[in-house]
Amino acid sequence: MLNYALRRLLMLPVVMFALSLMIFALQMSLTPTQRLAAYAPSPDYLKGGQESIRRMIEQYGLNDPFYIQYGRWIGNVLSGNLGWSETARQPVGTALSSLFPATMELVVLAFVPGLLLSIYLGSRAGIYLNKWPDHLIRFFTIVGWSFPVYVFGLLMLLIFYSVLDWFPPGRLSHWAQDVVTSNQFVRYTGANTVDSLLNGNLPVFFDSLRHLAAPAISLIYVNLASMTRIMRTSMLETLRQDYVRTARAKGMLRRVVELHHARRNALLPVATIAGMELATMMGGVVITETIFDYAGLGQFSAKAAANLDFPAILGFGLYFVVVLVVMNLIVDLIYPLLDPRVKTK
Amino acid sequence: MKRLLVLALCLGLSAAVPPAIAETKNPGTFVFLWTDDILSFDPAYIANTPSSYGVLNVYSRLLNYKGSEISEFVPAISTEVPSLENGLIKEGADGSVSYTFPIRKGVRAHQVGIKGADGKITWEYLDKLTEEQKASIEPGYGEITAEDVRYSLMRAILQGQSWMSNAITEVVTAGKYTDIAKWVETEGKVEKIADASPEVLRKVYDQLASQFTVDGDKVTLTLPKSFPATLGVIALPFGTSIVDKEWVTDVGGWSGSGDDWIKHYKPELAADPLFDKENGTGPFMLEEWDRTDRRITMKRFENYFMGPASLERVVMRTVPEWTTRRLQLLSGDADYVWAPVEFLDELSKTPGVKVTDGLPKVFGRGLFFAWPLDDTDNPALGSGQLDGKGIPPDFFADIDVRKGFNYAQNYDALLKQVLLDKTVQSRGPTVRGIMGYRPDSPIYTYDPAKATEHFKKAFGGKLWETGFTFTAYVQEGTPQGTAALSALQQGLQRINPKFRMQIQSLPWASISDKLNNREKPASPLTYMGWGPDYSDPGGPLGAASYYLSPTGLVGGMVGQGYRDLMAEKFKPLLDEAWASSDPAVREPIYAKLQEMSHEYATTQFLWEDFGYIVTRDNIDGYVNNMILYGAWDFYPIKKAN
Repeated sequence: MLNYALRRLLMLPVVMFALSLMIFALQMSLTPTQRLAAYAPSPDYLKGGQESIRRMIEQYGLNDPFYIQYGRWIGNVLSGNLGWSETARQPVGTALSSLFPATMELVVLAFVPGLLLSIYLGSRAGIYLNKWPDHLIRFFTIVGWSFPVYVFGLLMLLIFYSVLDWFPPGRLSHWAQDVVTSNQFVRYTGANTVDSLLNGNLPVFFDSLRHLAAPAISLIYVNLASMTRIMRTSMLETLRQDYVRTARAKGMLRRVVELHHARRNALLPVATIAGMELATMMGGVVITETIFDYAGLGQFSAKAAANLDFPAILGFGLYFVVVLVVMNLIVDLIYPLLDPRVKTK
Repeated sequence: MKRLLVLALCLGLSAAVPPAIAETKNPGTFVFLWTDDILSFDPAYIANTPSSYGVLNVYSRLLNYKGSEISEFVPAISTEVPSLENGLIKEGADGSVSYTFPIRKGVRAHQVGIKGADGKITWEYLDKLTEEQKASIEPGYGEITAEDVRYSLMRAILQGQSWMSNAITEVVTAGKYTDIAKWVETEGKVEKIADASPEVLRKVYDQLASQFTVDGDKVTLTLPKSFPATLGVIALPFGTSIVDKEWVTDVGGWSGSGDDWIKHYKPELAADPLFDKENGTGPFMLEEWDRTDRRITMKRFENYFMGPASLERVVMRTVPEWTTRRLQLLSGDADYVWAPVEFLDELSKTPGVKVTDGLPKVFGRGLFFAWPLDDTDNPALGSGQLDGKGIPPDFFADIDVRKGFNYAQNYDALLKQVLLDKTVQSRGPTVRGIMGYRPDSPIYTYDPAKATEHFKKAFGGKLWETGFTFTAYVQEGTPQGTAALSALQQGLQRINPKFRMQIQSLPWASISDKLNNREKPASPLTYMGWGPDYSDPGGPLGAASYYLSPTGLVGGMVGQGYRDLMAEKFKPLLDEAWASSDPAVREPIYAKLQEMSHEYATTQFLWEDFGYIVTRDNIDGYVNNMILYGAWDFYPIKKAN
């Protein structure tokens, strides 16, 4: 198991290298002036005309051959410098590390309850096939599936913020922001919920939860459908297996057979999907973050891409490769725990 | 247990939930939601309007614009506005002109230097000091002096980073040099500033320093000759904002030495010590700049030399999604939001919301003709011939083609249907408020008959027979530009079905590439906009020069043919107007230039941009100054409870 994990982790730098080469090659298909736009904070900065543009191209070495530009960048990366992001107005590494806790906070709050709920609902639907709980769950999940996330998010915002004033957008209220930025508040993780608890500040904790609630509920509901349906199908298949029938024939309680024997084996496909789902969410949930004005990795990466902010795009690409590889590895390691017949060879 | 947990969570959440809106939210705090971002807090670094929102409020200048006036000034750090009448502007016998600024006494920065027992200076916020601590303030440390003024202006020039700082170089050299690099390269006879010897760098520094004289509490700036836009540049919230020399030096900035200024020339944003911090004398202090959350918090400076502001705090947040901004405005969580123009009518009818509309801007929009065009690997030209399937590279060199295009545009429809009657048609490079603008100067109107007449004359009559096909470009995400090109496309089709203009939206970088990256421009017709950097129409960055000078920025983009026309017809008049400092002499010349831009159909001038603001109805005091592009000065803003 350990050897397997190490081998997978050793692949990481190779994948990262290949990806960085691909993104770098892609940006080289643009002309130096187009790439220069990435270094100019706004179109106004190219207002100086051809002479100014020529100087800036020279300044940033944009006319140098591919390998020199790539070498310069990779050299910086290896020394821990991912470059400067014009989008975030800070080093790429700093931007990623300061946005990561915000995204993680949202992902954890949306993913864990979402996963548990879909396992529960999927199992129930499978167990009560074609009965009213199954119909109800299917209806509920199909509605969620049919809703584009931006529509559902806006509805959430309209009802829970505009009408009820329960769940406002953003990450914190102004008063809570003042507390968090004061000298008395210690930043441990960058995640508001965790830090407020560690600081023993319950009002900030609850304010943070208020701001997380709407985007988390939106994500849970919209993502619920796929996992619930996979769980339901998997559960149906497992319930038809011989060992389930044998267990029942041996006189085991129906509840024990369904929830302890069948459900555990039905989790395998869900684990695969959930792993990918989690990796995607950790890359940021662009639309949800944008609608709920939640500054996370999704908004940042989308804005960086729109601004042709190459250092940020490359840095984010590397981050995402790490997330994908690690998540794949975790899923692979979870398989044998769920089903001992699966060996990690 | 589970029920208990759920109950506790619900109780906690409900405790944190505020009551429904019954009173002003966040009293004393102005919450400003926009889609832009600030680049830096270094006045010498910034050049664009959004970035000026920070510097304008945390720093002060020698002079300010008088309310919404763009050619009148009021004292700020300078106690008087220089004029010939008060003797603070003097004309020398050699043609030089000097401007003297008497510096206000007792102007303190947000942070001041306190000398400790060990003789070490520490910087403390003035507002937090006790009277006893104030007695330990080290003289000059956080106290604005004439030397600080001299240092600030020289720092902006020598840093050479932004064109707004370079505008000061143009003032100081009366237009001889556009930036410090040109000055050094010319003086040292080198191709690049990096090749200049230390002696040359020192010499340029000495030449520059000699133009700023400090005499007690007065600073005198001497120009080699007249530069009529001087005060207009001095009052802008960019490089002319005054910094404290001792503080800048202490945080790692330029020390003021003539020997090492090149080390601080064009710093990378991250390497600029003033990028994310400030120590200005303005009405607000930068409290926090969370670039991750894209939030800027500014706090009132109680010791502001003009008296503290009404607002206690300003929170500026970048919120890209309109619906989110809108809901925050409606709920009272935001006091100002940037709103798309199509929502103005709806918002103006919404209770609690105030729309201030139709604010004039000095920004004009137009379709820019280019000639001759690059015919190598350029799909915009089609066949590259006048055969109906393309256009030749000199297509727009023919004045009848340009006039035909200008008569084929439906300006009225654009103004009514696209711009909702909120603005006026552009009359040329000079827009309302700028010298030379006359409301009765000639403009083009949609006139198919006249367009036909000109098209029939173009290319000896061949154009009418063959027709044409080419591509015009517009930046992505500019629906008004697309509408202007579509209106023109339809107008051309109605005049002659053989006239085919395709429209392509591209990212700005690609358009810039077509205009700037080749020997000749590759875009025949481009939708663009521009506004002057100061209120005077002349000078390198004035409206008339921008469009009509052969060395202007439009000329730089739209081809040698355009530049030749400008050199032959327009430059003599531009030079004549600039040589005089008498408005009575200058105004008719700029008015004449405006008419000539119509006569020669240099550009298809479309409309003047307009501004508007959307606030809660308890917000008052906003002043729209056109030359500041409507930048928010938060000092006069009041938020009623």
